[in-house]
Amino acid sequence: MSKQQSKGFTKEEELLLQDFSRNVSTKSSALFYGNALIVSAVPIWLFWRIHMMDIYTSLILFVTVTGISTYLLAIAYRNTKFTLKHKIAVKREEAVTKELLKKWSDDKKMSKKEKDERILWQKNEVADFEATTYSIFYNNALFLGIVIVASFYFLRSFAPAINYTLSIGIASGLLVLISTGTH
Amino acid sequence: MFFKFISSILLVIFFATYSFACTDPQVTSKSFTTQDATIVAHIGFISEFTVKCSSGDVSSLYAELGDNSIVPVAIIEKNHYQVSWTEDSKTARKGQYRIKIFNEEGYAAIRKALRANEPTSTVPEFFSVIVNYPGAYNGPWLRSECLAMIISVLVSYYAISTKAKIVS
Repeated sequence: MSKQQSKGFTKEEELLLQDFSRNVSTKSSALFYGNALIVSAVPIWLFWRIHMMDIYTSLILFVTVTGISTYLLAIAYRNTKFTLKHKIAVKREEAVTKELLKKWSDDKKMSKKEKDERILWQKNEVADFEATTYSIFYNNALFLGIVIVASFYFLRSFAPAINYTLSIGIASGLLVLISTGTH
Repeated sequence: MFFKFISSILLVIFFATYSFACTDPQVTSKSFTTQDATIVAHIGFISEFTVKCSSGDVSSLYAELGDNSIVPVAIIEKNHYQVSWTEDSKTARKGQYRIKIFNEEGYAAIRKALRANEPTSTVPEFFSVIVNYPGAYNGPWLRSECLAMIISVLVSYYAISTKAKIVS
């Protein structure tokens, strides 16, 4: 065992580990952080134009809270994606297999092993894409929903700066907390 | 001699009063009420009217408002009058308000009726004007933040229910 560890994992093992790990590719990570930044920055408009916060005097607060929220939302995206990816993969397996086998029905040269590998790869691609997009949608919907409800109803009597900090903090914090669950 | 003197004075007063009292008043009125009550707590009612008499002049006028209070009518210019009041925007009723206008004699009769604890409705008005209040704009029926909340809750519900289906 120790010998194998010193040698490192084979390519197949690394791919398998990557499929089951929480780590995401650089592309996914950039997508998550980009989305998280946009969604975290959107409430600034709400507090600037509706809650009448001065954008220049509150700039430090806006930047700090947006930065923290971006980080937390990106974690929430990643965790939600991890939870959903394999569930989606199981649900899509049959459809992907059927489609690919239909596509290769005339191809007699391809071996069964190669077909299985390609099906597995395609299934992972589909699941990865769906989990990524759905994770972004799910967290964005909840984040903006919590921010609107908190800022307009529960924290409306607070000063705008406190209202902003708390509503964004609660929304992003709650999403990270929810995303750490297994369901 | 003294009796003749008193009689002549009374006669002069009678004719003087009779000749200056307004008869058969022709009234044209226009009214204004607050239209936008989004940032005000009270609705303003203003009625402006012009009185033309067949003969004689109009003395001071008084108006009886909806709450039975008597207020003096402002004279803007000759034969041109204005009466105004405010009501709480929450309690102001929509529709037509009939404002009774009294002259000096009618006002004296009302005061007399009030002193005697008698109803003032029996006192005949000089004339009346109508103020129409169609209602004021109190903001949108559904506030924008409420609409935003409803939409965001619906979208969140869809997101949660879809996730539950995927995970199940």
